[in-house]
Amino acid sequence: MALKKWLDKITLLDLFDGLGVTGRHLFKEKLTIQYPEQKKVPSDRFRGMFRLDEERCIKCTLCAIECPINIIYIDWHNEKNEAGKSVKVLDRFDVDLKRCMFCQLCEEACPTVPKSIWLTTKTYEMAAYDRNESLYLDIRKLTDWQKAPNVKPFTVMEQG
Amino acid sequence: MSDEKISQAERDEAAHFASRAAAAGVARPLAGKGDTPASSSAEPPTLFDVQEMELNFGPQHPSTHGVLRIVLKVDGEKILQAIPDVGYLHRGTEKLFETETYPMGIPHTDRMDYVAAATNNHAFCLAVEKLLDVEVPRRAQLIRVILDELQRLSSHLVWLGTSGIDLGAVTPFWYAFREREQILDFFEEYCGARLTLNCMRIGGLPFDLTTGWIERLFEFVDDLPARIDDYEQLLTDNRIWKKRTVGIGVLTAAECIEWGLTGPIIRASGVEWDLRRAQPYECYDELDFVVPVRQNGDTYDRYVVRVQEMRQSVRIIRQCLERIEAGDIRGKVPRVIKPPAEEIYASVESPKGELGFYCVSNGTNRPYRMHCRPPSFINLQALPKLAKGHLISDLVALIGTIDIVLGEVDR
Amino acid sequence: MTAAKVLTPTVLTYIKVVLIVAVVPAIVGFVVVLAERRLMGFMQVRLGPNRVGPKGTLQGLADLVKLVTKEDVTPARAEKLVHFLAPVLAVIPALTALAVIPMGPSVRLARHVSTPLYVADINIGLLFLLAITSIGVYGIILGGWASNNKYSLLGGLRSAAQLVSYEVPMGLSLVAVLLMTRSLSLVEIVQRQDRLHLWFIFPGLLSFFLYFVSGVAETNRNPFDLPEAESELVSGFNTEYSGVKFAFFFLGEYAAMIIISCVAVTVFFGGWLPPFPHVRALSFLHFIPPFVWFLGKVGVFLFTYIWFRSTFPRYRFDQLMALGWKTMIPLALGNIVVVAVAILATPNRTTGLVRLGWIYGALFVVLFLLAKLRQALTRRDRLEAVPASARRTA
Repeated sequence: MALKKWLDKITLLDLFDGLGVTGRHLFKEKLTIQYPEQKKVPSDRFRGMFRLDEERCIKCTLCAIECPINIIYIDWHNEKNEAGKSVKVLDRFDVDLKRCMFCQLCEEACPTVPKSIWLTTKTYEMAAYDRNESLYLDIRKLTDWQKAPNVKPFTVMEQG
Repeated sequence: MSDEKISQAERDEAAHFASRAAAAGVARPLAGKGDTPASSSAEPPTLFDVQEMELNFGPQHPSTHGVLRIVLKVDGEKILQAIPDVGYLHRGTEKLFETETYPMGIPHTDRMDYVAAATNNHAFCLAVEKLLDVEVPRRAQLIRVILDELQRLSSHLVWLGTSGIDLGAVTPFWYAFREREQILDFFEEYCGARLTLNCMRIGGLPFDLTTGWIERLFEFVDDLPARIDDYEQLLTDNRIWKKRTVGIGVLTAAECIEWGLTGPIIRASGVEWDLRRAQPYECYDELDFVVPVRQNGDTYDRYVVRVQEMRQSVRIIRQCLERIEAGDIRGKVPRVIKPPAEEIYASVESPKGELGFYCVSNGTNRPYRMHCRPPSFINLQALPKLAKGHLISDLVALIGTIDIVLGEVDR
Repeated sequence: MTAAKVLTPTVLTYIKVVLIVAVVPAIVGFVVVLAERRLMGFMQVRLGPNRVGPKGTLQGLADLVKLVTKEDVTPARAEKLVHFLAPVLAVIPALTALAVIPMGPSVRLARHVSTPLYVADINIGLLFLLAITSIGVYGIILGGWASNNKYSLLGGLRSAAQLVSYEVPMGLSLVAVLLMTRSLSLVEIVQRQDRLHLWFIFPGLLSFFLYFVSGVAETNRNPFDLPEAESELVSGFNTEYSGVKFAFFFLGEYAAMIIISCVAVTVFFGGWLPPFPHVRALSFLHFIPPFVWFLGKVGVFLFTYIWFRSTFPRYRFDQLMALGWKTMIPLALGNIVVVAVAILATPNRTTGLVRLGWIYGALFVVLFLLAKLRQALTRRDRLEAVPASARRTA
């Protein structure tokens, strides 16, 4: 037993083993993703930026109610349409994205089929120099992404 | 230096800090038995006088794993006293629960122990389910266990990497994070998030598994043990690693129980206490796994216990994947959750230890009080005792071995 | 005017001095640092810096520009003069020491003009090296002290203790080589290895091992990087340094690393000589110029440094001291006796050295194989460490 310990101690086998591991990895395939050129494609369920379908939205404000940190602001008023029926019209649908924690509870709360507000847009590049401007989404930005600054267009994912 | 002298100085310092802490509203860690001045590691008196120095370790120190501040009283590099000062990341999560309905609380739990969000979600949901007396469907139970164990793996991988870096071994960090990224990919595919998962709901789960998830996870867990061998080859037998960890920060079983320490810490001290075995929740009682136990209670044993737990997690995941069957993923839960007025405590074995929620309901849709038992916070109590008499280098190892997450300590 | 008239030995010396002062920092900045970062990256399954210039080759330039243009902060209550001088003290001795490193034999530059590839061949070369490199420690201690920062101070003191302790085994391990060479001149050491047809690594296996380990400790590199131990002392002695001053510390550390490697190559691995220069079958190796051989061998050592850094955890301060004083110094002393006996016991000192080389080599191989065998026999399932009582079946 003592001899074994002495043998272990003097041959530094533990250290050589460690060197072997790092030496082996020297030649292994590298995992780095070269970001701007290569991009990782988010999964289908990836919770990214918001998107709103104003047509589908029934202005029930459930998403605003369910939001744990109250960052969705909705104002609407009634209007008569051509048929003379009273319909709700959105005045304001804002998402204060800089406080959002992307929990997806708003999407879950949405009663329309398909959902009127959803996060599975596979969009995540929202870095900006002015957070109040860029990370505060109003109706225009929520529905028309191409014109919003700093946001790239995305594949639209309609979710049931 | 004499023992009386140190103890007097310590008492002064403790009193000073306590008054200052009280003035600042800082919670002072509990003083336990280990705080008695004449500890076994005290050096015999020497010719030289003690030259004490106060050293602020953190909150912006690279190895405090977040924003922990430790006020050190050192003689040269020897630590005479270490007082953790917490609260730099306090966000009032417990108070926040009271203002929101039950389902709205789940995303907040993600942000407590942010390297193990799934177990946090699980504990919270378990508490509310216990209040509601809801049965979780079997498929949901199995998926929950898989998510829990994946989370345990990823949390232990983060711990392995960071505590390796603390002791100067840089490379295990990258290997560990390579595997962790793969685990996060599984999470992303399942629930759409990588870190703050929000992946459980009261009564079950938000989503069903995607197609191919199970097969890919099988491949991953088949691959993982070989990867763990790599980490072990770098660290387990390494003489430097052993020198830095064996005999550092010894806790006996009795001390662990006295301080309420849980998780790998108590298991490394020879107590087989694992909630998955002691109070089985979900379907843990039908799974075959070993609770790794070691006897010495030092940093090395805690390391070994955690590594073995990772291997056991692989086993558990494999069993769950084999047992998984079609079925519901959500139990019968009313749309508006209004539990009866009751008080309840439910806990899970998080990667750090016993994570519990004590929930007081007053019959409305919001909890009257939601208290969390955070394992990191309670395990951190042992730090002053552990650090005493060791060197600054060991303090780093000790912070690593407790495996704290400041999001959970401060909440 | 012929080349011989312009390139007098004095002029050539000046040219060489300028080359050392200008080229070595460039090599350090561009090649060694980049190689370190890239290789560490590769070992850690990532790529390392690869953005600046083709494949990241200009990373050194980018770092340089960044360090030079960075604000030079001096802490308010620092000892200003010492704080300023410390980095200089760290870098100057390291560059000075390079003067005596023989990188190659004489080369012909033009007709009648040839010059050896070293600045000076002083007859106390090895002693000079040991002396001048140990001045570098003052830079670190003073820098740590002058910063008026507790972490810096601890780092500086660690470094003082460490460097002073490891000077001893390093010096002692070289004494054993001196017994073989009978000269302190580095050029003479190389030439003697040529004459004896024997690199001193073989009889000096233990010496080399001790020298290299103390060398790693002397240069504050992992696993002995306690003075700057990032996870413990934030950045150790250079916590309060930025900009050019930090660059100087950085340069000093890397230059010291290069010197340790150069000395190891010169003393143990035959300097500029190709392997087995007198074996006829290997004579084709002579086509590679001596200078390249030297650089290649130094490169291997630098690679080993990097390899160590990416593999090992860090020792603790007291353990480091214990290793130095309780293991390394007794071993070094014992080694001196063994080498002395080997030389004196045989009528021909060369035979003694060769025999010693065989003994050391055989011993090492046998022990290594034994240990491997033992490891293979006792490799157990790691799960076995769990007590049987804790097991349970479903």
